[in-house]
Amino acid sequence: MKLPPFAYFAPSTLEETLALLREHGDESKLLAGGQSLVPLLALRLARPSVLVDLGHVAGLDHLAAGEGSVTIGAMVTERRAERSEVVGAQLPLLAEAMPLIGHQAIRNRGTVGGSIAHADPSAELPAVAVALEAEMVAESAQRGRRTIPAESFFQGFFTTALEPDEVLVELRLPAGESRTGVAFEEAARRHGDFAMVGAAVVLRVESDRIADARIALAGVADTPLRRPEAERALRGEEVTAEAFEDAATAAARDLSPPSDLHGTAAYRRHLARVLVRRALVRAAQRLGVSP
Amino acid sequence: MAQVMAQRFTGTPVKRAEDPRILTGRGRYVDDVTFPGMVHAAFVRSPLAHARVVSVDTSAAKAAPGVLAVYTGPEMEALIEPGPYGMAAMMNIWPPAHSLLATDKVRLVGDLVALVVAETRYLAEDAAELVEVEYDPLPAVMTAAQALDPESPLIFEDLGSNVLAGPKVTTYGDVDRVFARADRVVRATISQHRHQNVPMETRGAVVDYRKDSGEVEIWSANQGVALVATVLSARLGIPREKVRARAADVGGSFGLKIGAQREEVAIAAASRDLGRPVKWIEDRHEHLMAAGHAREETLEVEAAVTNDGDILGLKVGIVVDAGAYPGLGGMVTNIIEGMVPGPYKIDALSFSSTSVVTNKATYVAYRGPWAAETFVRERLVDLVARELGKDPLEIRRRNLARREDNRQMVTGRSLAGITAYESLEEVLGRIDLPAFRARQETARNEGRYLGFGVATYIEPAPGTRANGPLGAEQMRMELAEDGTVLVYTAQMPHGQSHETTLAQVVADNMGVPFEGVRILYGDSAVSPPGLTGGSRSATMAGGAALTTARLLRDKVLDVAAHLLEASRDDLRIENGSVLVAGVPARAMTLAEVVGALRQPGRLPEDVDTELKVENVYDGGTGGWSGGTHCAIVEVDLETGLVRIERYLVVEDCGEVINPAIVDGQIRGGVAQGIGAVLLERSAYDAEGNYLSSTFMDYLLPTSMEIPSIEVVHLEPVPLDPVVNFRGVGEGGMICTPAAVCNAIEDALAPFGVRVLEQHLPPARILELVGVIEPE
Repeated sequence: MKLPPFAYFAPSTLEETLALLREHGDESKLLAGGQSLVPLLALRLARPSVLVDLGHVAGLDHLAAGEGSVTIGAMVTERRAERSEVVGAQLPLLAEAMPLIGHQAIRNRGTVGGSIAHADPSAELPAVAVALEAEMVAESAQRGRRTIPAESFFQGFFTTALEPDEVLVELRLPAGESRTGVAFEEAARRHGDFAMVGAAVVLRVESDRIADARIALAGVADTPLRRPEAERALRGEEVTAEAFEDAATAAARDLSPPSDLHGTAAYRRHLARVLVRRALVRAAQRLGVSP
Repeated sequence: MAQVMAQRFTGTPVKRAEDPRILTGRGRYVDDVTFPGMVHAAFVRSPLAHARVVSVDTSAAKAAPGVLAVYTGPEMEALIEPGPYGMAAMMNIWPPAHSLLATDKVRLVGDLVALVVAETRYLAEDAAELVEVEYDPLPAVMTAAQALDPESPLIFEDLGSNVLAGPKVTTYGDVDRVFARADRVVRATISQHRHQNVPMETRGAVVDYRKDSGEVEIWSANQGVALVATVLSARLGIPREKVRARAADVGGSFGLKIGAQREEVAIAAASRDLGRPVKWIEDRHEHLMAAGHAREETLEVEAAVTNDGDILGLKVGIVVDAGAYPGLGGMVTNIIEGMVPGPYKIDALSFSSTSVVTNKATYVAYRGPWAAETFVRERLVDLVARELGKDPLEIRRRNLARREDNRQMVTGRSLAGITAYESLEEVLGRIDLPAFRARQETARNEGRYLGFGVATYIEPAPGTRANGPLGAEQMRMELAEDGTVLVYTAQMPHGQSHETTLAQVVADNMGVPFEGVRILYGDSAVSPPGLTGGSRSATMAGGAALTTARLLRDKVLDVAAHLLEASRDDLRIENGSVLVAGVPARAMTLAEVVGALRQPGRLPEDVDTELKVENVYDGGTGGWSGGTHCAIVEVDLETGLVRIERYLVVEDCGEVINPAIVDGQIRGGVAQGIGAVLLERSAYDAEGNYLSSTFMDYLLPTSMEIPSIEVVHLEPVPLDPVVNFRGVGEGGMICTPAAVCNAIEDALAPFGVRVLEQHLPPARILELVGVIEPE
């Protein structure tokens, strides 16, 4: 379990980083905390010939509230985001998911951008990004900056819309709105493990009816998965146990989750229904409209 | 001389002597040992479960940077003497013959194919990737049922089948009569799943062969240096006296690190061949895949019972999946057979056993290797109760042997001094069961499922003398110049805290401060031969420490009587000084006693002035350890996750030397038992790929999953006039799976679930209840 040979670069500016990626592109990997990449290197499952460490790059660790959104620099550690007052006040869904990521020692090192760019479909942050309809800001030397919506960012197992010469610079997450309740529910074998299934829910209730709902699942496909059919089923409904149960059933319908040591496909399908229902109930309770 | 020892230390939670070193990161584990000029080894391991090795091309690897040598199977065979390794060497299991590195075939994923030695482990791993191996795949034998199929491919051709041992059938008592008398027969097939020892420190060794002297020094993570030296000398063809085996701190083992294993012999051969010290530290991936697995057994059981709930007799048939290479798997059935009646009044037993080889990691000893008997028996008691519509506690009360019965098991083992019944009563005195049942009923009405389970066990730690010799524990003790008592023990502590416990016993029996005792171990050049294992050290080494300290004390008093010109009967040793009754001014420190002996003429010629004692302790009367565990669980029937609300252990390990250490042993074992049921599984797919080779897939319990564990010690029942310490290493692990599974079955009782397997991950719970379909 020793890392294979690679060239290591530790640039201090984004420009240098982009130049390195332009030069090495496909052959390179960005190190953004290393909580997933280093174990993959140790098992020699990842074999980049160039490692570009973002740990010393200035200007990637900003975290600030803007007009209706919060911007989080890619190299903000998970622990810092977890403890941030801005996140606590404006991004309650992210705040709720944060403590479920690994353990504190892992969150001290792991970064928000690293987790998003790694795109593990079982991870919490990609599901939160999808549920919140976040935007990812990427930059390359040749094409400059572009914004990628979460929905099209995640393309498959550990695969994103990022090009080999691009760096994920920051995330823009819409701030919480009034009359909106959120909840993140997951089932893991142990505290801190990747979720077998996770469910992120955003629920807006107006005049005792569900005005909008967004549901995203982790651990059931090769990407985090929005469940538009379940969301549609909720819109316009009153907050009732039946409405939530029906939506949960719809959210779990037609899923083809993976089967592994930790849970069969049937089990994950079942969990999806249970966790969506639990998350909806809790989101509603936060709005004071218990079903 | 009738002198009652002041028990200043024995029985108290003296802080561990090991802790300042270990807790500040200053322990010396095998990877901390370095030699000048040391080089590093990495193994090429098989990616296939079963295959012929057609060719091995090492040319590219040999040309890689920093590589000193690459050895293939045939090249390695030329450097060693064939024979058994590790546990198989201890039990002298040979045949089935096999090579060190694969010569003809590989028998499991992770099997050893080639050895690379390079300047660093990084370079060795880089070069290992360049070794080109051509395999001719064979069908893998992945289950005991496949192994028993005469059509299955042979794993060892010279065995003639894939049956390693058995079938062997033994009958105790009048089985036919007992089954004819039964009102009914309760039948079940109960299995334990494959899981494994996961010590914090993996295996590893550093070997330095000296060309000048022909001597070899090995430092390794092990449970006893003597066996390391013996196996290494046999496999290298070097005289035993030229092998020095050593160890300092060892980070756990649980039965795994016995003798010199294949990897350790391989690097020793390489060290001799290269004339360089060679280090190999097993990485976690190698460890989980190939260090050894434990516990894969299936037992078909039948219990002859009366409608009143008496268990009259048992028929047990066990099949052990022993994995690929000879280990404990062919022998463990003998212990299971002897122990299966446990503390119960069972009058007849028929026991049949078979062990088979499969293309999986070798079956090794793991904390309570025979624990299948406790799991199956304690599950069976609950199943009998359910079938009869009775309370499992009532069945236990009816059938447990009482101490005053003075029975022996139908398999012949004396049950003298057992306290199983008392431990059950103590548990029930501490749990308000009617209140729990009421709470359980209320919860069920709210869709919450609580369960209560108990399990009872006894453990031969070391067992009673009536069952045969307990062994011989050697110990040497001497007084150093400064008055320190030097204790040379045969134990090889790897978490047992012998530096503390033995020092407590010696301090009290010698009359010196705790700090005035030094426990020395882990060097085959000076340590008496022995092994730490089988929960024997409390009695054997504790007894050796007590008796040897008294012998040394007597020698010191003989000498001191002359030096102090006092009657020996007026002398005693207290706090490191010899005191004369009624004359406090005439005290001498032990250092002064030693110093006086160096002065010629101070003593008559006929007085023995060697303040050294060599002693062998035979275990005295011995005795059982045992107890009852109780678990209260809540099963979430939406997620299948199990939460342990309360865990209570009532146990008896005789006279407790250090309650904090005993509690730690119990809690560690309970955690492993909870892990076995809820988290840990060594899983293969049908082709023999190993699925649990990282900590993402082999799930160990963490502090988040383990509840606070309450431990209660029963009053010791003295069996021996002098030594009543008994072992406590394995009991926690032995009893826990049954207690947890019994509690889960109780929680799921409204659904009529019968738990016939030990591993209950959340998906399996929901399958048992019928919430989801099995895959």
